[in-house]
Amino acid sequence: MGKDGSTSIFTTKLDVLANWGRKNALWPLPFGTSCCGIEMMATLCSDYDMSRFGAEVVRFSPRQSDLLICAGIINSKMAPVLKTIYDQMTEPKWVMSFGACASSGGIFNVYSVAQGIDTIIPVDVYVPGCPPAPEGVIHALMSLQEAIMQGRTRAQIREKFNQDISPINFLKEKQ
Amino acid sequence: MNIKQQVVTNFGSELARFEADWRSQVERIKARFKEAVEGISFPGTDFTDVPIVRVKPTSLIELLSFMKIEAGFDYDFCADFTASDESPREPRFDIIYNLFSTTRHNRIRVKMGIAESEEAPSIRSLWAGADWSEREIWDMFGVRFEGRPNIRRILMDNRWKGHPLRKDYSIYSYQIFPNPEPPYPEYLEDE
Repeated sequence: MGKDGSTSIFTTKLDVLANWGRKNALWPLPFGTSCCGIEMMATLCSDYDMSRFGAEVVRFSPRQSDLLICAGIINSKMAPVLKTIYDQMTEPKWVMSFGACASSGGIFNVYSVAQGIDTIIPVDVYVPGCPPAPEGVIHALMSLQEAIMQGRTRAQIREKFNQDISPINFLKEKQ
Repeated sequence: MNIKQQVVTNFGSELARFEADWRSQVERIKARFKEAVEGISFPGTDFTDVPIVRVKPTSLIELLSFMKIEAGFDYDFCADFTASDESPREPRFDIIYNLFSTTRHNRIRVKMGIAESEEAPSIRSLWAGADWSEREIWDMFGVRFEGRPNIRRILMDNRWKGHPLRKDYSIYSYQIFPNPEPPYPEYLEDE
């Protein structure tokens, strides 16, 4: 309604409206396994304040969240736990790989550490750094929001085409 | 060259008392166990901070229980219990027992060589806490212990192949299992 009582109409496609709602209401699940978790807490706290981007409702249950922030090293004993938590989240769901260890194994090039969580679950956005600065995390969150708006995250492609995509295909499509 | 100065100890003013203790203890061990003791390294003459007693596997339990109970020894606490892969030496593995006396406050180390095909004697009868250390040694080195045919891993996944701390195990041989471990009903009951 306009101020003078006239009706103003804003036309849009339904999926654009849905994506706009999704990107501004990301409910993160903090999966902090090591020191990156501290940096994630700093990002969520008032100084950097991730709630400015609509991602402040931190839920510790995979059933209630849609953004898995994997902050820290994933070793071979933790890999099945991470996979189970990812499987328990409801669609659409997004994954942020937070820091060098989660993205590539980091300095831990040994038998007991998964060399990147993308060997276990699909990842939408990677944050480099050891640990990443909060600005980097916010940039990653904004990149993810942009990708959600354009409908090119893995969850949305899964939803649309009913098939999962490998990281290589995802990069080709982006180019 | 004075080897004693190379090994830094934090025993401080008690070092003199410890040395006197160790000297009498080593003499008594030599007198009692004779050829079962393969060798004794002593601080000052060898590159070590505490005495190391090398013992044959057959008289390990006897030596450890002697050191636990006997007056003048009182090594009543098994502080740590681990292994090392010494290949290509034969016997391949060393099992290392680090003992501590809660009354006399000094430490001593016992080493036992064990071949890959042999079973090491279990010291669970002396210290019940050795249970987890034995599981760890099995997990990391693949050394089996007497009376434990169904010993299970403590750190690695149960589906893991091989023993990671062996010298012939590549540290880059990743084994990542994305799916959860299947339940093992037999593990619900104690061994």
